[in-house]
This record gives sequence, structure tokens and C-alpha cells, in this order.
Amino acid sequence: MRTTAPSTTTVPLTVYGRRWCAISQMIRRYLDRMGIPYQYVDLDRHPEVDRQLSWVTGGRVRTPIVQLDGQLLVQPSVQELARALSRTGVR
Amino acid sequence: MGAGNGLPRAIHDLEQEFAGLADEIPESPEKRAISLLHGIVMEMWRSLGHGPGGGDGRLADVAELYRTAPPMEAPAVSEPLAPGSEAPDFALLDGSGHTVRLSDLRGRPVVLVFYPLDWSPGCSQQLDLYQQELDEFRRRGAELVAISVDSLYSHGAWAAVRGLTFPLLADFHPKGEVARAYSVWRDRDGFSDRALYVVDPDGTIRYGHVTPYLHHVPDIYELLEAVDQVAGVHA
Repeated sequence: MRTTAPSTTTVPLTVYGRRWCAISQMIRRYLDRMGIPYQYVDLDRHPEVDRQLSWVTGGRVRTPIVQLDGQLLVQPSVQELARALSRTGVR
Repeated sequence: MGAGNGLPRAIHDLEQEFAGLADEIPESPEKRAISLLHGIVMEMWRSLGHGPGGGDGRLADVAELYRTAPPMEAPAVSEPLAPGSEAPDFALLDGSGHTVRLSDLRGRPVVLVFYPLDWSPGCSQQLDLYQQELDEFRRRGAELVAISVDSLYSHGAWAAVRGLTFPLLADFHPKGEVARAYSVWRDRDGFSDRALYVVDPDGTIRYGHVTPYLHHVPDIYELLEAVDQVAGVHA
């Protein structure tokens, strides 16, 4: 797990992804560029998280899954994530 | 009052409670059904004006076809050329019918992206990623070109649908000749492995990578680091 800096918000944001997944990379690069801090959980390195994600997504564990202050987005586009972040007041 | 994320407070609290129940319910068809129902509710919430935008109809539908296209998941069969090798020159047509020669790109780092096929799932996502990061390559003074066996007409249509603005080169005839020269050809399939090369401004390969599986997209952080190293050496 890793967290980017700098931290400018208290809204919890977690990206569950895989290193080789293009959409995971797009989401992470977007957050990096915007300077939005997030926790990154690589599912290849943390398979134990799969069970919980499967429970809340109805078994659709397709990366990336973004957890934003309680809301879950399965494979969001960058545009959808941007709208969700906007609603939280992050940007 | 909202919970700050677009979810009403009550729903937010219910979400938290639901998430905490996972370990309390034994594995069973009933648990699976409840989980599925939650997944449905979650997606319905996204679709109520909170999810992906409407797009522009049929063109957007075509752009999304890759999501339901047959998967491509075979292991790689090739090894990249070694760093320090001279990058084989080539002259290939792009989607506009212009000839692109590697030797014409001397003087700057060049990222060569070999990908299996236009329109396919992994390739659509991989090239979307490079389009999103195009400014990062340009900021490093690097040129990025992508190569597959598809025709220039396929490249032109695919680039238009996906909004790709970097060159897509047609390794079309003799089919796969350039992929063979770069040691990334899959003879059994008639297309290349998914591979990257970073060529320095003098035409020497400084970085080569073949993904272990066709559906794996190379790590963008590692690629940008490789470009940084080449750009830094020649700065």
C-alpha cells in the first residue's frame, strides 16, 4: 500500500487496482496529476481484500474500484471520478 | 444533509453498516443474492445522473465495444531486443497515409509501442492511457508511436473513435515485418506481443519490455522512468 503526497483533504479515497491494469493506471495518474492524496491497494499483492470487495460489489471485482468516502465506483472513467470528486468538494 | 460524497447521509450510514456485515453472514446462495442486490443498487445510483456521461450516441457505443469484445489473455512468446542494440529502422504508413520513418525521429527519445490489434480490449485501454499521458511524453521531449499489423484505414477509424492523436503505424505488408525485426512477433497468432521500446536520440535501444500476458498493460510509471533516464542522459 502507498499514499501519495501532498495531503490537502481529509476525504478518504482508496484505489483498489492492479499494476498491469490500464484503467487503474489512468485513475492513479489522474489523481497524481491533480495532487489528490489516495491510498493505493494493489490486489495482486493484497488478495485478502478481494472477499470484502466481492461482498459489496455483488462479485464484480473489476479493477480499478475506487472507494470515495463510502461510495464505490467499479471501473470508473476519469470523467466519472472527476464528477464524484467534485461532489465531495475535493476539486 | 449529504455525507459530502453525493450520497445522502442516511445512505452513507447504511453503506457503512452493510460493508461491516460481510463476515457475519456465512457463505451461501442467500449471501450471494444479497451481495448481488447491493451491486445492483450501487450501479443504479451511478446511472441516476451520477455515472458515466451520455456520450454521443453510436460513436460512443463503438468506442465502448471493446468492453464486451472477446478477451485476449495468452502468455507472451517473445523476448525484447537487448538494450544497447541498434533500433531497426522502418518506414510505415500512419492512419493518414503519411510515411513515418524511425530515422526521421532522430534527435529525441522515441517510445515504440507494439500492440496486438486495433479495437481489442487491452489495446483500447492501453492507448487511451498513452493519450491521457501524451503531455507527459512531450514534456520529456519524447515522441510516441504505436505499431500493429492493422491497415492504415483501421488505424484511421480507430484513432478517430478513441480520440488518439499520436501516430498509429501499419505493419501491414509484409505483415508483421517490423514486429519481427524487433523480436516481438507472435507467429501463431499473426500479431505482435504487447511490447515497449525506448529508443534514444541516436537510434539505440535503451529500454525494452514485453508484457508477460497479452492482457497486461505495461506499468506507466516504469515507462516514464525509462524515458526520463534516456532524456536525462541526452539533456
